[in-house]
Amino acid sequence: MADNNSHDTDDGSNSSTNDAEVKADGGVASGSPARAHQNTDYLSSEVNLLNPSTQFMRDHLRLVWSGFAVWFVVVFGPVTLTRFAPDLMTTQIPMLGFPLHYFLVAIGGPTGALLLSFWYARKRDALDAKYGIDHAAVEETGRGDKGAAATDGGVDE
Amino acid sequence: MIGAATVLQTEELLPEGLDISFKIAPSVLVLGMLLLFLAIGYVFRVADTENMWVAGRSIGNVENGMAIGANWMSAASYLGMASLIALSGFYGLAFVVGWTTGYFILLIFMAAQLRRFGKYTAPDFVGDRFNSDSARAIAAVTTFLIGFVYAIGQARGMGLVGLYIFGDFGGVIPGLSGYQVMVVAMMTITVGYLTLSGMLGATKNMAVQYVILIVAFLAGLYLVGFTQGYSTVLPHLEYGTLITELGNEFSEPFTNESYYLWIATCFSLIVGTCGLPHVLVRFYTVESERTARWSTVWGLFFICLLYWSAPAFAAFGTDLFAENVGPVYGDPGMSSEAGDVIVVLAAQLAELPQWFVGLVAAGGIAAAIATTAGLFIAGSSAISHDLYTNIINPDATQRQQVLVGRLSIVALGVLTTLAALDPAAPIAALVSYAFSLAGAVLFPMFFLGMWWENTNRQGALAGMLTGLGIWSLAMINEVLPAYLSGSEAPLLSEWLATWVPAIGAALVAVPLVFAITIVVSMVTDEPPMETKRIVRQCHSPEPMGQQQTAEDVVTDGGTDETPADD
Repeated sequence: MADNNSHDTDDGSNSSTNDAEVKADGGVASGSPARAHQNTDYLSSEVNLLNPSTQFMRDHLRLVWSGFAVWFVVVFGPVTLTRFAPDLMTTQIPMLGFPLHYFLVAIGGPTGALLLSFWYARKRDALDAKYGIDHAAVEETGRGDKGAAATDGGVDE
Repeated sequence: MIGAATVLQTEELLPEGLDISFKIAPSVLVLGMLLLFLAIGYVFRVADTENMWVAGRSIGNVENGMAIGANWMSAASYLGMASLIALSGFYGLAFVVGWTTGYFILLIFMAAQLRRFGKYTAPDFVGDRFNSDSARAIAAVTTFLIGFVYAIGQARGMGLVGLYIFGDFGGVIPGLSGYQVMVVAMMTITVGYLTLSGMLGATKNMAVQYVILIVAFLAGLYLVGFTQGYSTVLPHLEYGTLITELGNEFSEPFTNESYYLWIATCFSLIVGTCGLPHVLVRFYTVESERTARWSTVWGLFFICLLYWSAPAFAAFGTDLFAENVGPVYGDPGMSSEAGDVIVVLAAQLAELPQWFVGLVAAGGIAAAIATTAGLFIAGSSAISHDLYTNIINPDATQRQQVLVGRLSIVALGVLTTLAALDPAAPIAALVSYAFSLAGAVLFPMFFLGMWWENTNRQGALAGMLTGLGIWSLAMINEVLPAYLSGSEAPLLSEWLATWVPAIGAALVAVPLVFAITIVVSMVTDEPPMETKRIVRQCHSPEPMGQQQTAEDVVTDGGTDETPADD
């Protein structure tokens, strides 16, 4: 899948202009994330899951992939372990009485996904805050100021 | 009545052990509930299309979370999951895991982006993203098929539960058994209700339906556990000690189904969750992308309330069945019909008051109706909005659109009823076929379309046709024979049934569809710049207005300068 890049070398060049320098910092040295956000033209930055082109997307995808990795283990880990180490996994949990595999799958799976979702939504809000993005303006007025500008400019019906 | 019921119980599709007779209190309860739904649907009725499809984009966090929950928890969650756990033990847990954890993938990869894209329906997304009416048509047909296949399971659930509440009316419609009469009656009610109200009514209803079904399910679980001495305050954990008594079939891994089938099923249900049109459409109805995210979290919480409980209910039900009716496993063992009503059966065998068992049964009907409503709306909007208005008759008036929408709801209802008269599998399995389809055809399009801007029309068409092909092959191989000749043997090949099972076809289909879509997109022309900019706008962290779509932003302000920066 890495070969996606070869396909868009032509317009990939402009997309990587504004982030080569902001990448290394982690948001401190060469300008705050909020500044980076204001200086980024998102509509000229390529979208490619494996090759994020803006600082925001990089930060966001770090979050997404960490969550995904944990999720993968929570979902497929216990059942796979059960397949390869059935004796270990079917031992009874003291007190609760569940066999271990049953507990990890029936209760661990849904609960794990719920906690992960909560974690992600929180982190994503924090990410918005870090970049100085405010959804409240949109929710209150029905449209953000920028949205209003764009809408007023374009609405004709 | 009781004498007649015991004789009839030996017939097909009558769950053994279930008390089948007309019961006054439960009937009043169910009819009252249906009237309430109709009243709410009437109060919030709609006449114009914007409201009919996406409720004017005005739904908030918790309400949308509940709607996600009610929309999601069908008869398959309410009845079918406990049934599969009771019948197939550890394999049944693949459904618990698949149907909950899929929401996390939906949340991190798709929910907010879809809200930003801001189009009405799943086919709309595919059609606009890939600039292709053919792609739109394939997605519309897929959406319609999903609604149809998914609803067969719901009809089966309503029919079986209806037997407990209303009794056996076999022969009232000549040639139809009691179960079949019930299916026809319940589907008529569902369709009648749906044609009267659109999505706004439906969304309001869904919050109510969620409350009814979760209260009924939890109250049932607590009371059965408490009166039978299984549990006190937290049955979700207390059933653990029961597991050793239930026998190896209940907990031993991979005795009923293989590890491969477990993974295939679970994977299919996960990707299916992310591709189901009636789930995705819930994200178009929220006020902002942040709401889209948080309502997913809320939705998953509301869903988990039931999913933590279902295995416990299955354990109690199985134990009560073994005590009162007969051995659960072995020959003959518990039939899949009895399994499908195990939740109601447990309440009945625990000798809870009749009106209370009726409440548990009514919850099952609420679950089935809520989901069928969502499915039929998605299916009919695919036909009226995507096929009819966008492709066949672009000059259609609002009136014509609404009319076509209603006609397709009726068509879906008739098709579903016919297929449910003699269903090929238990509820949860029937529903899983729809997940396989959504996962194989729609999920890769959403995922690649959102996350790789160079996915193009040719790639999407090739990919969707591949997915549709693999799914159809598996269905023809396994499910068609049951309808044609009633036989269980695969039509084409045993090998195919083992490695590409209809219930888990997406495990094979998804990687293939991804590969084909990517390769074809790479060897053909890139999509137009405008399309790429729309995809970029979907990922931009810049907030968008409530009524804006990504396309508005890109075309309004962004043709020659950056649109969103001050």
